[in-house]
Amino acid sequence: MNKTRMAEVLAAHAEGLIGRPEAMQRLDMTAEERSRLTPLFQLAERLRQSMQPVRPSAAFVRSLGRELVDNARRQVALAKRLRRAAMIGAAALGSLVSIASVVGAIVFVVARLRARAQARALHAPTG
Amino acid sequence: MHEESDAELIARAKEDPEAFGLLYERYVGSIYNYIYYRTGNHHDAEDLTARTFYRALKHISRYVDRGAPFSAWLYRIAHNVVANWHRDTKRRQIISLDELVMGALKREDPATLTEEYEEQDMLLQAVRRLPPERQQLLILKFVEQMSNAEIAQVMGRTEGAIKSLYHRTLVALREDLISQENRREEITGRTKDE
Repeated sequence: MNKTRMAEVLAAHAEGLIGRPEAMQRLDMTAEERSRLTPLFQLAERLRQSMQPVRPSAAFVRSLGRELVDNARRQVALAKRLRRAAMIGAAALGSLVSIASVVGAIVFVVARLRARAQARALHAPTG
Repeated sequence: MHEESDAELIARAKEDPEAFGLLYERYVGSIYNYIYYRTGNHHDAEDLTARTFYRALKHISRYVDRGAPFSAWLYRIAHNVVANWHRDTKRRQIISLDELVMGALKREDPATLTEEYEEQDMLLQAVRRLPPERQQLLILKFVEQMSNAEIAQVMGRTEGAIKSLYHRTLVALREDLISQENRREEITGRTKDE
């Protein structure tokens, strides 16, 4: 029996152990295959018996659930505050840039006017 | 009533805390079982389950659906949390009294009780000595009762790879149990000689 066949048979057997016998029924297993795989079948059965689902205590589930939701609320509120702060920051920065550009424009115009007036004074006919 | 899918809840959880609560309720049992069978005791299972969900909450806003089930993402977080726990505490072998097992055994004959419990305990300890992905496979198969196709989705492998991994896992587990049994007999023999 090759490895692929062995893996197929064991997988089908495991499916059967958890209430899905169809896969095992589809496999046409020989007596030789069955006897060769018996120790592994038995081991799988022991695993099935030993590995039963466990339940966390109801008190634990409830209290952790409450803590997580409270924490999620704080996280969402913090994210909102950060977003708002970022928006206010961006708006303030935008306003500063606009004020700076208006001031810059005024300074530029005044400087140009001064320069023009100086030039006119230099070239004005004397006497 | 229409039950929201995981994808809908995840999208909502990024803004709505209640949605994360629903995801938690849906998966807390599975994650707890996974961690319980990896650690072997309820106390650490509670602690690490809490850590897993806190970590999930922290990163849910960055969760990207890549086609794998949401549980795969949670199991990955749980796996990392358990790995860190093993590294930090070096407590690989914690022998615990599984309440369910004890509950079942208490009803039986006290003479066979110890032997049966010992065997079961040896098996679960051997399971915990397996590499993490093999432990996960056994937990998903026998505790969560998932089909091979479902396990393949959660573990991000093909169904064929899962079947082959299951085969190798059983063989390795059997070898480990045989060597443990031999060692035990050796020790018992030595004690008798003395």
